Amino acid sequence: MKKRDIMALPAFFALVGPALIIYLFIIAYPIVYSVALSFSDFNPNRGGSWNFVGLLQYKTMFSDPNFWHALKNNLIVVAVSVFGQIPIGFVLAYILYRKLVKAANFFQTAVFLPHFLSTIVIGILWRRMFEADGPISRLMQITSGDPSAQFDLMLYSDTVMYPIAFALIWIYTGLYMIIFLANLQKINDNLIEAAKIDGASEPQVFFKVIVPMLSGTILVSVILAIAGSLRGFDLIFSITTQGLQRTNAMVLPIFMYQTAFQNYSNEMRFAYGAAISNVIVLISLILIAISKLMSRKTDV
Amino acid sequence: MKMDAPKRIAGKTIAYVVLISWTLITVLPLLWMGYSSFKSNEELITNIYAPPKALLDNKNDEYVVIKPQLNVTPDYDIEKDPRERLIIESATISPERRLMVHFLLKEDLSAELQNVQPGDHIYVSQLPKDMQREIHWKTVFFNYRSAISRGGLGRKFINSLIYSITSTFLVNLFALMAAFAMSKMQFKKLAMIVGGVIGLGYLISINSLIIPLFLLLTKVGLTDTHIGIILVYTAFGLPLAVMLDTQFISGIPYSLVESARIDGAGTFKILMAIITPMATPVIVTVSILTALGIWNEFLLVLVLASSEATKSLPVGVFSFSSLTSTQLGWQLAALVVATLPVMIVYFIFQKRLAEGVVGGAIKG
Repeated sequence: MKKRDIMALPAFFALVGPALIIYLFIIAYPIVYSVALSFSDFNPNRGGSWNFVGLLQYKTMFSDPNFWHALKNNLIVVAVSVFGQIPIGFVLAYILYRKLVKAANFFQTAVFLPHFLSTIVIGILWRRMFEADGPISRLMQITSGDPSAQFDLMLYSDTVMYPIAFALIWIYTGLYMIIFLANLQKINDNLIEAAKIDGASEPQVFFKVIVPMLSGTILVSVILAIAGSLRGFDLIFSITTQGLQRTNAMVLPIFMYQTAFQNYSNEMRFAYGAAISNVIVLISLILIAISKLMSRKTDV
Repeated sequence: MKMDAPKRIAGKTIAYVVLISWTLITVLPLLWMGYSSFKSNEELITNIYAPPKALLDNKNDEYVVIKPQLNVTPDYDIEKDPRERLIIESATISPERRLMVHFLLKEDLSAELQNVQPGDHIYVSQLPKDMQREIHWKTVFFNYRSAISRGGLGRKFINSLIYSITSTFLVNLFALMAAFAMSKMQFKKLAMIVGGVIGLGYLISINSLIIPLFLLLTKVGLTDTHIGIILVYTAFGLPLAVMLDTQFISGIPYSLVESARIDGAGTFKILMAIITPMATPVIVTVSILTALGIWNEFLLVLVLASSEATKSLPVGVFSFSSLTSTQLGWQLAALVVATLPVMIVYFIFQKRLAEGVVGGAIKG
């Protein structure tokens, strides 16, 4: 057996090799590169020499008001995902699971659809929907009878995140609905029947039987929502117009992109951008760890 | 204990109201996008909700004869085709903006029409039958023709296809090979290490590595090339594919592999002739998820592709929408071009997609 094993070793590496090599070059090496870059003063205009500068880029970042503005908006996006998409997705899944409606398949297909469409396309679509002379403004004029009514939330820095939050919920609710529905269908019906025989009311069944059984799924969804909403770039980039509106709705990935690829006057733009990228990953790891800890506490 | 009837009815009513409203919120903007892409710009300004009419009902459209001018771009090759043409512009759809223009071959026209002068008005119904038919379809798809030709969307559509298909093929091939080695060869420890390393990639997205990727690909001269973009898509498709494939192949009994080996089949033969056919369901799931993700991806191409030759559809649609912000009809047509293929794939494979997404989410 041993001898054949060693004979088979080249075959093993021949099979695993292509995947492993591409992965190491395109994902693993860039991770290391990104960390190293963020501790350097790499200057693309000066032939690209590297010097170790410690936490310089991170210090610049923490004293940059743009960073805090983008972080605040990013946390709003996280909150919308966790407290908007997931509960709505859960409710819709529960309705489908309890077979309260006919044509469940139709509803499921329709609600899940936006998840697969290009986020850029959806962003442009909602940008047009929210425009001053767009369909939403027109709807407001029809319903209020006031011909001068306008949808203007996109225009102000303190309200721009509301329409964006709506668009985010619009895209992703279906994803969580599908995840919850698949896991609800694994629950043994007898448990619910037993609870009912014991005299539990419908809300009691929901909160005392179903929600606890899905705590693992809720955790997975929360992790997905956190990771996804911190790295999300496309929607906010395309739903806003270039300039003030995009600055108002700035999130960390857009801040990173503009720093590294549009701000040519910054000599250390790549090093600074890498620091921002790394912080995005770090924040999502921290938030994921917190939600894991919290779920462990509530389980006991 | 059954719920009493009033409560039951109330519950059902609430359920229907909630689901129907959410479905309407989801579907109505998409329906609006779809039918509005057949509306002229004037119609979109006067009534943003009305059904399309001007472009569809065009049998009696009025046209003005115009002179050849620099701002009128012919839709045929002037060098190769020197035949005389009559140039007419619509008097109703974007009039005097030289957007809705036809070039009619003079030799096909009646003597009367051959002699009309610039400034004269003619009606579509005066033209020969096959010309009428051509103008009819060109008018119906006016927004689509404009979006595709002015935004260069045809080429970008093909680029998107190249990226999605090539990368998905490579992802499948490499992931199957790796998954087979990891689950059916006797190197459990090595397999665990390789699996763990590749699985880590599931936590990282293209967005978080875009800067080092750009710098490294610049160094080796692969930015703005199809190969560079395909390589990155392949790498980022691997973690999910390896995971789903390994799960599936682990479930295939080892005895099948063993008996094939006794019959003298080599490792590669076993993979291609036994494992791959059995793994078709998971291959389909992986392919659709990977291809759709690549079809919709934006930031990588935005950063890496600097020339028109490598841009993909989302980037093309995005820049088209910033350049032609006053032509809402054209933009909506461009959005439909980018979403229609996805919708078709989605409606065919909806069940599979749901399963794949759930499987990926739970392991991730």
